Amino acid sequence: MDTNRIYDMLIVGGGPAGYTAALYAARAGLDTLVLEKLSPGGQIALTHQVDNYPGFEEGIDGFDLGMKMQAQAERFGAKTAFAEVYSLELEGQIKTLETSEGSFRGRTVVIATGANPKELGIEKEAQLVGRGVAYCAACDGMFYRGKTVAVVGGGNSAAADALLLSRVAKKVILVHRRDTLRATQIYHKPLLEKENVEFCWNSQVEELIHGDKLQAIRLRNTQTGEQTLVECEGLFVSIGRKPATELVKGKLPLDEAGYVIAGETTETGVPGVYAVGDVRTKPLRQVVTAVADGAMAVAMAEEYLAGREG
Amino acid sequence: MAAMNINKNQFEQLLQGSKPVLVDFWAPWCGYCRRIGPAYDALARELGQSLEIVKLNIDEEPRLAQAEGIEVIPTLILYKEGKAVDSIVAPESKARMERFIEEALAK
Repeated sequence: MDTNRIYDMLIVGGGPAGYTAALYAARAGLDTLVLEKLSPGGQIALTHQVDNYPGFEEGIDGFDLGMKMQAQAERFGAKTAFAEVYSLELEGQIKTLETSEGSFRGRTVVIATGANPKELGIEKEAQLVGRGVAYCAACDGMFYRGKTVAVVGGGNSAAADALLLSRVAKKVILVHRRDTLRATQIYHKPLLEKENVEFCWNSQVEELIHGDKLQAIRLRNTQTGEQTLVECEGLFVSIGRKPATELVKGKLPLDEAGYVIAGETTETGVPGVYAVGDVRTKPLRQVVTAVADGAMAVAMAEEYLAGREG
Repeated sequence: MAAMNINKNQFEQLLQGSKPVLVDFWAPWCGYCRRIGPAYDALARELGQSLEIVKLNIDEEPRLAQAEGIEVIPTLILYKEGKAVDSIVAPESKARMERFIEEALAK
């Protein structure tokens, strides 16, 4: 990486979308730099097994898949900087990114910052992270071996987390604000058959009770208003995701939920700036749709760069 | 060079040395520990001259991990003159780890 150089493409975020853009860009002969603050893979880096990315019939570890995507892009000359981006200047022909590793300039910018777990937004939540409150069952589940834990949420990731935790924890309490799961059917049966999984329907978490660590949660029934105290040492929050778009707020058009408004072409409201993967408005957020975006952004960027030269 | 994984004896020896020591307490089953791996190794390459940057598998040394008060991993602890001066849990970026090191060294 080189702070004096003007890159053809700067890619913010090294998840599947970002590294697929890097792969296509490098193969198209574009001088390409990925800015990743930690390690490749994005959200799948914390998934032990990815079973819906074609070509790996036995599934593949998410972290390994991320590392492979990076290695593949780098084989064709793409570079990576372990850089945290602090601000972006996206207008004009040369765009500038201020980062922890210096400032980088590029002719095009691909926003591939992805999404992060949503928080409950209740008191003491942030304070208790790592002391009972967790957002990743695959990461922190092992600390709750033989203990009682609660999972909040009703979608696929909540169901998967509850299932994973049921193999480790003594008891799993699934807390959902509706009376049925939104998760796809494939999760329902195994979950209902587990003897150590209990359900608290029509409930939401009102309060976290703790000493040094989490001790219990107070639930409120959304129908009756009745409150109950549930003892648990762990609370896994699995209520969906929010886009990582703080950096581009006010610089790119965002929708109400904060996603960058961009269609299938991945073009944003600013020429030469593309949004790929989970950060973009789209009906299905999956690795396969993220990688498709990465390829598309490069096709559009090539056209944009050619048009500017012509 | 990647950050070396050490055992209890090596840990005790390093703490007696003159250089500050940064230890990443980790375990093979911890997903986030793997995530910080590439950036942690980059730090070991960049700052290895002035600082010992190592890793310690808590499954291999459970008693040491307990003695050091490890309850969540990954936990990074910086030791100066044999004493823990500061720690950080699950840092979100390489830049965050750099800030932590800088601040801990200044303490």
